[in-house]
Amino acid sequence: MTTYIIRRCLMAIPLLFLISVISFGIMKMAPGDPTALMMDPMIKQENLEAYKESYGLNDSIVVQYGRWLGNMVQGNFGESFIRQGVPVSELITARLPNTLLLMLVSTFIAFIISIPLGVWSATKRNSLQDYAITVVSFLGVATPNFWIGLVLIMVLSVHLGWFPIGGVATYGEPFSIWDRLHHLVLPAFVLATADMAGLTRYSRSSMLDVLRQDYIRTAKANGFRQKTVIFKHGLRNALIPIITIFGLMLPSFIGGSVIIESVFAWPGIGLLFMEAAFQRDYPVIMAVVVIAATLVVIGNLLADILYAVFDPRIEY
Amino acid sequence: MLRKPLWKVAALAMILMIGACSQPEEAQNIDANAAVQEGSEAEGGNLVLATTAAPTLFNPYYSTDTSSSTIEGFLFSGLVTVDQDFNPEGDLAESWDFTDDGLRWTFHLRENVKWHDGEPMTADDVVFSYTIPKDPDYVGPRGLPFEIIEEVNKIDDYTVEFVLSEPYAPFITITAQFEVLPKHILGEVPIAELGKHPFNTKEPIGTGPFKFKEWKEGEYIALEAHEDYHLGAPKLDGLLYKIVPDTNTSMAQLQVGEISMAGISPEYVGMAQDLEAKGMVKLESGPSNAFEYIGYNLRNELFQDKKVRHALTHAIDREAIIQAILGDAGTVAHGPGSPANWAFNPDVPKFEYDPEKAKQLLKEAGWEPGPDGILEKNGKKFEFALKTTSANEIRQQIAEVAQQQWAEIGIKTSIEVLEWSAYVEQTSPPNWNFDAIVAGWSIGSDPDPTWFWHTSEIEAGLNYNGYSNPKVDELLSENTQIADLEERKAVIAEADAIVTEDQPNTFLYYPEGYLAISPKLVGPSYNAANTYYKIHEWYFEQ
Repeated sequence: MTTYIIRRCLMAIPLLFLISVISFGIMKMAPGDPTALMMDPMIKQENLEAYKESYGLNDSIVVQYGRWLGNMVQGNFGESFIRQGVPVSELITARLPNTLLLMLVSTFIAFIISIPLGVWSATKRNSLQDYAITVVSFLGVATPNFWIGLVLIMVLSVHLGWFPIGGVATYGEPFSIWDRLHHLVLPAFVLATADMAGLTRYSRSSMLDVLRQDYIRTAKANGFRQKTVIFKHGLRNALIPIITIFGLMLPSFIGGSVIIESVFAWPGIGLLFMEAAFQRDYPVIMAVVVIAATLVVIGNLLADILYAVFDPRIEY
Repeated sequence: MLRKPLWKVAALAMILMIGACSQPEEAQNIDANAAVQEGSEAEGGNLVLATTAAPTLFNPYYSTDTSSSTIEGFLFSGLVTVDQDFNPEGDLAESWDFTDDGLRWTFHLRENVKWHDGEPMTADDVVFSYTIPKDPDYVGPRGLPFEIIEEVNKIDDYTVEFVLSEPYAPFITITAQFEVLPKHILGEVPIAELGKHPFNTKEPIGTGPFKFKEWKEGEYIALEAHEDYHLGAPKLDGLLYKIVPDTNTSMAQLQVGEISMAGISPEYVGMAQDLEAKGMVKLESGPSNAFEYIGYNLRNELFQDKKVRHALTHAIDREAIIQAILGDAGTVAHGPGSPANWAFNPDVPKFEYDPEKAKQLLKEAGWEPGPDGILEKNGKKFEFALKTTSANEIRQQIAEVAQQQWAEIGIKTSIEVLEWSAYVEQTSPPNWNFDAIVAGWSIGSDPDPTWFWHTSEIEAGLNYNGYSNPKVDELLSENTQIADLEERKAVIAEADAIVTEDQPNTFLYYPEGYLAISPKLVGPSYNAANTYYKIHEWYFEQ
């Protein structure tokens, strides 16, 4: 197991390297550079040139990438081109915890709601409840979640006043868990909806597969109670494909968080990425790409380890 | 929508009015529950402003974005500021005078100005600040406004003299509005490192009505009242500048009263009017200091004939555009400039909506309908691409209307919508890779039109059209040399009239700006020049 994990970690290095090369290339192919936002008749071309020169923007792309990589392997993400003098690591440290919190909570919400729904739906196959859940799931899959976010803001925050509109905490009030949760619930729920629908469908079909297995019939034949059969024998096995989905969901949580963070003014890394992308703040863009890629790699590794935990047939 | 606060340079000159609508747009809000106290004039409370784009750094000699310059306006003071009609008004300077040749300007500074750390502000600070952009080691965007300065001399502790290389009218409305930085803090910092100095992001010290308290990354910038402010202690306790990236969200905040003052972009005007009807906000409006247009690339043969350009304008129903797309939040433009600006010339040639006349003009120019109905001349079809940016939805809609209306007179256009940076790169020097663009300009605190129309601005400036008219060049060169406002106005008016006759652009409309204000907040009023004029006197009413 340990050797497996170490091997997987080592394999991640060339992968991350490749991701960084491709991202850097795509980023540089995008037209414009950080000076594109400085469109102002009162700005002289020479001033812009001096700025570009000072940030090495006139060097060849290979040189620029080499410089970035050299710093990067020493754990130095460089300084922002736009927020001049501010280390990228400072921006990341301020933002990453917010995104991780949002992701963790929304993953939790997605699982805690979807899996029971899927199981229930599977055991009540073709019943009214099953159809209702199916319809809602498909609606969920088809609805963009920024829209769900805006609708929930309009209904729950604006009209009913139950939740604050955006932000992570109330300004000027001392830290309180309750206040943080109050701000967290809506964005986390909305981010979860993106995957909840799919997850419900997956757990339903996975559960149905398992329920058709011989060992379930054997278990039933042995006179175990329905509950025991479903939750002890069935669910554990039905979860295995769900773990794969969890690994696949991580990137979508990171991608989805860009939009959700924007709608809920949630100061996370997705929002930072969006700002940086518009401003062509290259060091920030690259830092977020590398971190997101690392998270995805870790997520997949985690999924693979979880296989071994849940599936006795798998051993590393 | 509300254009930027023209505190200062921010609006410097004309900032490319990009996604004027959707880019760094501002909404200003008031913390509704913060202010209410007894009495009719409740002291204190936090003024809460919101922005869609986070600021970058607080140093006017290095920042280029609207959010930063707005906050710089709260933190720092310049020698002068502008009032709500763009008239220069003393800020750090109590008064100023200049010699008849316009070359020597003397500023008499207020003696009661204190930095946020308690140190007195003196002529040394002014000399220090105004020579930063002239330093050979300076790496920043603000070289141009200081180019005409030959010398900055300290006469005594509270008198500064500027010697200019030539008379330059915008010196007072642009250059002298630049904020002054503290020499006692930054004096020893090498100029090459000033742009990256932690002062700019961690601990800016200024002389403005509010002092820096906290910058919570991605969330807000908090400021608190500067009790020693030279024009009087602010009545507000502080100011919260929130980052709310999604306009839908900030409009929702406006609706619940969390935001009680917000610039309203055209697509939200209807909603704001509803709120006004319910008594939740006061809604004010007026012309914003900007114009929107379809610009033609005069390097392209298609557009070189003035008759053709007239025809293109006659074919566009601008009234309909304003009604249908803007919900009436604008007035038809015939020429450049803005009714919000003192130099505006309403008396320019008019080009009414008249498709028949457009066809006639095109016929005179030698364009005849081909077999497919598209106009042809010497075997070449009249077709071109109309570019605009995804950052601005209104412009995209205008492009669609223009496409249809030109199709009606036999002109074929394709629309290309580009992401902002890509759009800038393609349309600006040295690429000028466009046939026509739907765009807009925001005019700064000085109305100098040189930037748009002077031949010298073609190569690297904002004259993207490549427009050149010797008479206009002559008038524009003259305009900045004239100190007298009325005289200067006449010269600008003449130039604007010639430009209008030449129609390098189809001038579309002058956007109307809207400002929603909390019914409890006393002080702000809609104006295009200086949104936060006399903010130290603002207060919340019971």
